[in-house]
Amino acid sequence: MNEAPTVEPIVVIDDDYAMRFSCRKILLKAGYIVEDFEDGASGLEAIAALKPSLVLVDLKMPGMSGMEVIARLHEIDSRIICIVITGYATIDTAVEAMKSGAYDFLPKPFSPDELRIIVKRGLERRRLAMLAHRHELERELFRRRFVTFVSHQLQSPLVAVHQYLDVLKHLGDAPGAAAKREEWLERCLRRTEELQTLIRDWLTLSRIERDFLSLHRVPLDVCEIVRHVIQGVELLASGDEIRMEARLPEDPCIVTGDRECVTVLLENLVTNAIKYNRPGGSVTVSVERLNSELAIAVEDTGCGIPEESQPFLFEEFFRVKQDGARKTSGNGLGLAISKRIVSEMGGTIGVRSQPGAGATFTVLLPEYHQREATGTYEQDEDHSDR
Amino acid sequence: MNKTKTILIVDDDGDFVESLSVYLESHGFRVLVADDGDEGLKLARMEDPDLVIMDIVMNERTEGFFTIREMRRDSRLRDVPIFVLSSLYSDGGSFRIQPEAGWLAHDEFMPKPPDVAELIRKIDEHLGTREASK
Ligand SMILES: Nc1ncnc2c1ncn2[C@@H]1O[C@H](COP(=O)(O)OP(=O)(O)O)[C@@H](O)[C@H]1O
Ligand SMILES: [Mg+2]
Repeated sequence: MNEAPTVEPIVVIDDDYAMRFSCRKILLKAGYIVEDFEDGASGLEAIAALKPSLVLVDLKMPGMSGMEVIARLHEIDSRIICIVITGYATIDTAVEAMKSGAYDFLPKPFSPDELRIIVKRGLERRRLAMLAHRHELERELFRRRFVTFVSHQLQSPLVAVHQYLDVLKHLGDAPGAAAKREEWLERCLRRTEELQTLIRDWLTLSRIERDFLSLHRVPLDVCEIVRHVIQGVELLASGDEIRMEARLPEDPCIVTGDRECVTVLLENLVTNAIKYNRPGGSVTVSVERLNSELAIAVEDTGCGIPEESQPFLFEEFFRVKQDGARKTSGNGLGLAISKRIVSEMGGTIGVRSQPGAGATFTVLLPEYHQREATGTYEQDEDHSDR
Repeated sequence: MNKTKTILIVDDDGDFVESLSVYLESHGFRVLVADDGDEGLKLARMEDPDLVIMDIVMNERTEGFFTIREMRRDSRLRDVPIFVLSSLYSDGGSFRIQPEAGWLAHDEFMPKPPDVAELIRKIDEHLGTREASK
């Protein structure tokens, strides 16, 4: 969609002049920068300097063969996408070339569209690979510097408040300062609240880690907690005109756990479903029996989660990057806490999402079966609907 | 002084940016703001700022590092002074970590929150140097 072909350099290596000429013409028209070479040696020499995103190489050339070019190419930079051009007679070799690292092959003769499509696909693949590589690097850094990151997160609100106060002090009675003062003090209050929430969430997280949960384990009706949580977020939901719906079985669905923790878990999922929704959207919470497990699903109609972010969602402090305009506040601990609660209870949590079309978080928890009479699970004192 | 100098702030904390830009503006600078690395890079390429103030931990955790690297690879931005302002390295005591040399090719490092008077002094120093060498 927003994939305006940026200036991606492409190199074409082919001994056939007509071939080079037409590739060049087609790709230039599609908005790429193109350089072409008639043999492997001069092509490779240029590649080292040009650092192209993609290379089209003919397999059969006098002098250095296409196969050799591919091998050398990847010594220079393994992230360069290589596409092999080949006559029908050499398809076998093309397959061989792919085994040795070419991304795809293009049999001669080909149409301009075929060329454009294969190049576009190759570049998309490169983009994804580079993104994944970058995520990997950041993740590694994050792991190695975990303590540093935690203190960084704790410091951010403090830094913001300190600097507001410091600048106010420096500005003194300068024109404009008075106008800002009111607003900035308000912001300072917001940020100190944020810090309190952060510390509270951080404590919750470390408490769960220390087996805190297993001490407080009692039978609980999930459906009842769902109703309770939905009631609690009414105001938040109506603010964005979001419709809340619960699809619950008639009879109680019992799990064992700590009431407060199960409430926190559901609150996290439900508030996220509201926060990351679109105005006028909806949130559906359903509980279903699957064999010996209960499936709790929280489904929304919001922005969804990009595929490349999904593996990191449940990590501490991870938040999906949002575009400038509408930023949702949060500290990225909610899902990390949720995941720990679920694993403590012997369950699993997962997400499915179509970016742009909403997300569904599903929690699977072992159902608690009691042979003797029901009704011994802990009732919520203040619930009235039933 | 001659022409107004432009400073680009790349930082995802809206509050920090708000107070810092008001302060810099009160010292006669023109301030541009980007709230992530990509946006910062785009603005830098479009606007040719005289100096960049860069946060490290943005949306994607260490985005500032990657942004600095991209800027150093761009022939037009290569020599723009970059000030790194981050609380990442200011947590003191045993957790203090030195920025790896070479990877973080910044011109100045200051902890967050910075001593604002000192910050202005450093900025003047760098912009003055730049002027003289031209
Ligand atoms: N229902 C959802 N729809 C889209 N994105 C979500 C949803 N739930 C969570 N996310 C993404 O996962 C991130 C982490 O969530 P969470 O741990 O609850 O932290 P927070 O909500 O404080 O940012 C969020 O910042 C958001 O980017
Ligand atoms: Mg949340």
